[in-house]
Amino acid sequence: MKPEELAELLKNTLGGLAKEVTLWKGYVEVLVDVDSVVTVANKLKELGFDHVKSVTASDYPKESKIRVTYHVSSYLREDLAKVILGLSVDLPRDNPVMESLTGVWRSSEFQEREVYEFFGVTFRGHPDLRPLLLIPELAEKKVLRKDFIVKEESIYEGVPHRYQ
Amino acid sequence: MKESPIGTSSGGALEGRRLEGMIVRKVERELYEVFIGPQHPGSGHMRIIVRLDGDVIVEADPDIGYVHRTMEKLSEVREWLKPIPLLERMTIIDACNVTLPYVNALEKLMDKSPPPRASYLRVLLCEINRIASHLYGMGIFGVFLGHSTIYMWAFGDREVFVELAEILTGARLTHTYPIPGGVRRDMPQDFPEMARRAVRYMRRRLEEYRKIFVDNPVIVKRLDGVGVISKSKAAELGIVGPNVRASGIKYDVRLVEPYEVYDELDFEIPVFEEGDSLARTWVRVEEIKQSLNIIEQAVEWLERHKGEHIIPVEDYNKLPKLHKEVYEKTGRVKLLPIHASMKIPPGKALARGEMGRGEIVYYVESDGGTTPYRVRVVTPSARNAMVFKYIIPGHRLMDLPAIYGSIDYFPPESDR
Amino acid sequence: MIGVVLETLLYIIAYPPLWQVLIVGFAGALLVAMVAIWFERKAAARVQRRIGPYWASPRLGGFMTIVADMIRYVTQQVIIPFTVDRLAFIVTPVAVLVITILPLAFVPLSPHEIYWPVASMEYSLLIALALTTLPPLLTVVLGWASSNKFSVIGSLRESYVITAYELVAILALLAPAAATLSFNIAYIVEAQHPIKWFAILNPLAFLAAFLAILMSTSAFPFEIPESEHEVVAGPYTEYSGILYALNMGGGYIRRFIYAMLVALVFLGGWAPYTPGSGPLTGFIVPSLIVLIKACLIVFAMSFLRSVYGRYRLDQALDAAWRLALPLALLGLGWSIVLAYVNLI
Repeated sequence: MKPEELAELLKNTLGGLAKEVTLWKGYVEVLVDVDSVVTVANKLKELGFDHVKSVTASDYPKESKIRVTYHVSSYLREDLAKVILGLSVDLPRDNPVMESLTGVWRSSEFQEREVYEFFGVTFRGHPDLRPLLLIPELAEKKVLRKDFIVKEESIYEGVPHRYQ
Repeated sequence: MKESPIGTSSGGALEGRRLEGMIVRKVERELYEVFIGPQHPGSGHMRIIVRLDGDVIVEADPDIGYVHRTMEKLSEVREWLKPIPLLERMTIIDACNVTLPYVNALEKLMDKSPPPRASYLRVLLCEINRIASHLYGMGIFGVFLGHSTIYMWAFGDREVFVELAEILTGARLTHTYPIPGGVRRDMPQDFPEMARRAVRYMRRRLEEYRKIFVDNPVIVKRLDGVGVISKSKAAELGIVGPNVRASGIKYDVRLVEPYEVYDELDFEIPVFEEGDSLARTWVRVEEIKQSLNIIEQAVEWLERHKGEHIIPVEDYNKLPKLHKEVYEKTGRVKLLPIHASMKIPPGKALARGEMGRGEIVYYVESDGGTTPYRVRVVTPSARNAMVFKYIIPGHRLMDLPAIYGSIDYFPPESDR
Repeated sequence: MIGVVLETLLYIIAYPPLWQVLIVGFAGALLVAMVAIWFERKAAARVQRRIGPYWASPRLGGFMTIVADMIRYVTQQVIIPFTVDRLAFIVTPVAVLVITILPLAFVPLSPHEIYWPVASMEYSLLIALALTTLPPLLTVVLGWASSNKFSVIGSLRESYVITAYELVAILALLAPAAATLSFNIAYIVEAQHPIKWFAILNPLAFLAAFLAILMSTSAFPFEIPESEHEVVAGPYTEYSGILYALNMGGGYIRRFIYAMLVALVFLGGWAPYTPGSGPLTGFIVPSLIVLIKACLIVFAMSFLRSVYGRYRLDQALDAAWRLALPLALLGLGWSIVLAYVNLI
């Protein structure tokens, strides 16, 4: 299935729920509302998309939003296995809360934990929401947001000069 | 014993700390909690919190993150070309396969494509790395089961392929071979003969491996029927690589969405139906044989098409005279300083590749600057970590190394 | 003059308890354990296409590496954690070593009565077998004393394995007694003169005895209580220094003692050599022959390390109850048939 055909199929199946359908290089992105995420996910699962490849989030501080994208594809259906679909949701930056999609796709469980600890996005209904890779002190600081700047140190900091 | 060893919540470090939205559960007091922790000969760089009822595992909780090296955050402050050596360190034993999809994503954003000779060189190095990675996995798996002979043999034979890679790229493990547009170095003159000798040697050795490891009655008894992942469960959990091909799903990125020149090469994808640990081992052994075929075909094509470019023609024309001389004489590409601060047009791209352990996915987002805006990498071991939580409960404690070794989980890759 | 000195020296050395328990027992066991460890490492290395111990003494094939290891263990600091049960922790490895070598004090290594360590050898086989069943119980004590979860799991596994193999070992090693109708080891060895060894007449019992020894001394493929990849070293996790060496060497020494018993009752003891009188030809040479036969058995067990993996616990117990026990019973039955036919 080509990306253009997939875009057509999405527009026909989802109708008004899909706010925007874009073709990027390598995947087709579908932007939906926060409230209709679970319905859209269930419809996609019926179409044949059965696993999540990646759950990622991008931080846009200037527009004050965090965009969470689920890249899904299919193992068991041959025609859908060649395309990747990106299901995107825009969340407000100061209170990013959304419904967890582990009920629909179980393969997103560990990656939602990662988005939780790196960006501070809370997933309601997640069976086991705790930090996956980081210690809790670091996870509180929401490390991967753009306003967390890692102070780079020179290796000579604190070393007394010995040369004239 | 002086004090009770049973813990009260999942992860002792979280006692008393609650982040917003976090969920903490209590553990029943009759279960025996064992931390197969980072300081354990059979655990790698991770911890598995195992709760036992007698000899049967009731819950297994992977506690990963011990070697998290913040690669996604670092890629946002480095210029476009610098994440290539950085991302390579995730799975250094499989170096070309890890960085190739990132380079493919950059090429998609820049609308560049590598010349055919560069593609064949990339494929050659990818297959050499795949064989080395599978031998590493088999060796570690043997040691987990107590069979130290296959460990020594696999690592000794892996040396042959690591030296081949050293002759091709100059470094044993840290190749940093692909760049956006092509590769960095051409093949030496005597390489095809050495590659053919290595292929013949490995084919002979695979027979020995079959006799001592894959058909060994103790090993077969240990692995047969252990850790069965059915086809629907594999699709539901989203696991990747030889694990999913051993469960009956014919999915390989080189087949589904061919990148580089994989659609011109002639190879097969081994698929088994049983889904237990023995099937996963067989898949890996068969994949080594297929990779040997691909190396032969690639080397033959490269011998026939000598003297072609390994970087695109427009890049070659922009090189100054000294760089052109070095390129003609020794086949090495010296990058200009302008590459260090190149700008890529804005957009989003997703590229994937097939490593030895499974499918790796890169999501690269650019806003037109000199550094990436967002790089998201999902490695095969990060997706295979679901196996610990969902497949291991119900087995005995001694099946834990059998399952762990057979899914070929590599902690540095999973923690990024 | 020199002759008298040599004769008294020989008389002192050939004093049965001294020779048998201290020299063949302690010193011989230590030497055989070191040679067995060396052989295991070297044979495994050759199979695995590498050299093994080499640099410490290239001409001897690296044997001095093991001697250097022993010196290191003797001089290493022994670390005793706070939470262990001190008395049991320190005393148990030593007790295991002493009790392991005890069976040698009750077996004859020569047909002449003056060279027997105790006055009568009527029930020597029974006593020796009874004493070999004690050390594994002390391993369970080790696991409790260490106060470490992995040690507890390891010693629990050991207790399962004990229950499985002990019956097999005793039945298999009593098969020669059933054939010759006596528990006297000297009589059993005489009955195998010169070439009627039990291993040839009754291979089933020999095989069952071999399997039972493999299981009881944690040799591959049954190295279960100390398997490194789920429980760090099983009951021996918290040990360091000389206690560690005693534990690890204890496996080899137990193998040696079992192998001595097997060499006496299955492989003919000192047959086909007929001992003369006098301490040299009547005592020292036969015991050296038995020692060499025991060495061969230990080497055969060591070689299995390079070929096999490790069985899972319930599969090993399965092998014990369903394979080794019927084999031992069949061996016992065949011995009774042999006795009936008056072959011996």
